[in-house]
Amino acid sequence: MDARATVLLLPDGLSASGAADRLAALVPVVTQSTHAIERTFWDTFDGRLHRAGLALADAASRLVLMDAATSVEQASGDQPRGARRLTLEILPAGILHDRLAPIVEMRALTPIARVRSRQLPINVLDDVGKIVVRLRAEEPAALAGGAAEHPLRPRLHVVGVRGYDADYDRVLAILTGAVGLQAAPRPVLDDAVAALGRPIGGMSSKLRIELDPAGRADAAAVAILRRLTEVIEDNTPGTLADVDSEFLHDLRVAVRRSRALQRELRGVFSPEPLRVFRAGFRELQVLTGPTRDLDVQLLEFGELAAGLGESTAGDVAPLRRLLEQRLVIERRKMVSGLRSERTRGLLANWADFLDGLVDAPQGDRPDATRPIADVAAERISAVYRRMVKMGRAIDDDSPHEALHDLRKKGKELRYLLEFFASLYPPDVVKPMVSTLKGLQDVLGRFQDREVQADLLRALGDEIAAMEGGAAALMAMGVLVERLVEQQEQARAQFAASFAQFAAKPQRKIVRETFG
Amino acid sequence: MTKVVALYNIKGGVGKTSAAVNLAWTAAEQGSRVLLWDLDPQGAASFLLRIKPKVRGGGAKLVRGKSDPVALLKGSDHELLDLLPADFSYRNMDLALDATKRPTQGLQRVIAPLAHDYDYVFLDCPPAISLASENVFAAADLLLVPLIPSPLSLRTFEQLQRFVAGEVPKPRPQIAAFFSMADGRKTLHREVMDELGARVDGAVLETAIPAASDVEKMALRRRALAGFAPHGRAARAYAALWDELRPRL
Repeated sequence: MDARATVLLLPDGLSASGAADRLAALVPVVTQSTHAIERTFWDTFDGRLHRAGLALADAASRLVLMDAATSVEQASGDQPRGARRLTLEILPAGILHDRLAPIVEMRALTPIARVRSRQLPINVLDDVGKIVVRLRAEEPAALAGGAAEHPLRPRLHVVGVRGYDADYDRVLAILTGAVGLQAAPRPVLDDAVAALGRPIGGMSSKLRIELDPAGRADAAAVAILRRLTEVIEDNTPGTLADVDSEFLHDLRVAVRRSRALQRELRGVFSPEPLRVFRAGFRELQVLTGPTRDLDVQLLEFGELAAGLGESTAGDVAPLRRLLEQRLVIERRKMVSGLRSERTRGLLANWADFLDGLVDAPQGDRPDATRPIADVAAERISAVYRRMVKMGRAIDDDSPHEALHDLRKKGKELRYLLEFFASLYPPDVVKPMVSTLKGLQDVLGRFQDREVQADLLRALGDEIAAMEGGAAALMAMGVLVERLVEQQEQARAQFAASFAQFAAKPQRKIVRETFG
Repeated sequence: MTKVVALYNIKGGVGKTSAAVNLAWTAAEQGSRVLLWDLDPQGAASFLLRIKPKVRGGGAKLVRGKSDPVALLKGSDHELLDLLPADFSYRNMDLALDATKRPTQGLQRVIAPLAHDYDYVFLDCPPAISLASENVFAAADLLLVPLIPSPLSLRTFEQLQRFVAGEVPKPRPQIAAFFSMADGRKTLHREVMDELGARVDGAVLETAIPAASDVEKMALRRRALAGFAPHGRAARAYAALWDELRPRL
């Protein structure tokens, strides 16, 4: 159904009907009557639809997915009634669901802008009166709540009809030539979002920090940590409101990254306040851990249960219910902790502390004024070497903890490489991140399967006491067995991925780049 | 999942094309993405939608997989309804199909790459029972049979049911019929509709399409009924027919 389409801006002084009149002098057109529509646009917090060049709008109980630039419909479906957030679980099955699934994944779609448009459809006809090009003049306004409106630039949508390309080209040539219209630089949704003072394309949790290699290490640490604090703050409302599981995920990653930097660049901080903040951030991590673990269990539940085969997949329903009940309890604890004076105070004090860090006395901060490139290189090199040492000590008899500790160190190295990517050549950093990622995937799978299996084992007694518990318990036994199997597979893969990570050429590159 | 509905009857002049165009339009009007394939070499559905009944390369290339069907589609005056037009070469469709490796799957081969773009594909079939019809039976999820309320219709419909049950390999399409060109003032029509309704319980839809001048005017206006007489008896009957049919798909 993809049709060719372009959006042109209507310049000041040329109304929609004026444009139609000018076109009518050149080609046969039928102008219909003007009508008004009001649409709410939806996207994920991190703007996944925007990134995919799409826009999702509702109108008259339908959800329409369209190409963002041209507004050409790509799929549509019924809108779930009264929903203030849309997830794949509540969207009805169909083409719209299938198109959104790989883009949206576990994220929820929430309203990002409301737009009211006056629209004037104008059809260009051929010699038998068939529509061969569709035009739509649009006078949009972003609605800011209440009666407030922000008028946006009016535009003319030019949409081809399949199989009538020559007519489309001819009409477009007239509009951009004789009528003198120019292409709209960005979609009406982006205009609306900007007019409402919101970020176009949603909120990113990425770091994207350019550092000066010769700049002071403490200033660089402040720049990174401020951005991480921003990410924590951006994701807190969505975490508290339980919009989707990714808010908590991103919040936790930002906390973990902050902790990694606190530890790795400890020489830029005074020891005493650092100790207090490290303890505070650790608490934050512990506070949010159980909810995240249960989120992961539930996110992966479908896949896990699907592995059981059709006959027994239904047996684990009590387990799902129990996990959901647990999640409610853990979430309540977490929300209360995140709302507490203690957490709010921690983050406020941390922000103040960062504001004053560069001007603070340097006596007990030996790395504060050293060039960040030197300090970062030392840390990357040291963590890499430490990982090589830890990995080499692991053999088939090593306890699980040895692999877990290596994974933790690996995360630290990953964060360091991300924080300081701008200081080093991309052809060094990228392959290094890639081999590290290979290793971390194996270690991650190893640990995740263990955590999952432990959780299932721990729930056994409770499940047994539930209705349908016996069947569930048996199915869980199969699941645990499968998880243990997968954990063993991951362990078997460890040697190969570690060998790649610690290979001689890799060590040489690290030595040459980071010292 | 795309559903393929074939408007089919061994007899001609029973209202297949009117039903195909109006049902396809109604489905599009309700927000579904619809493709109508005008398989009749006479090209009446193409004509009604003001689209030239011409397919580059002809029917033979199309069913042999030598033409890209996407490139042959034409948008109709409804944004959600596309047409794969008729072509006079479709009169030799049986020969073209017979020359392919799998003669009963030629139509399926054309529809398959298009299917993911549409919720419904309607086939406006020529009247006959032939290799092309076997292709229709293989491709369709539902055969929708317009019946003029006459005693012969009953015989024809039962013949078709027997043929599909006995000769068509699985998965077989569902079969549903509706009365077309029905005139409630004619005793014969009323009697046949009552009798047939009772004999093939469940296979005949409740909604009947009336014999209405609006339907004849379609050829003059070259539009679906919704385009010029949306509130007329016939347009309302097609909408009701679609509402009744949709849950079966």
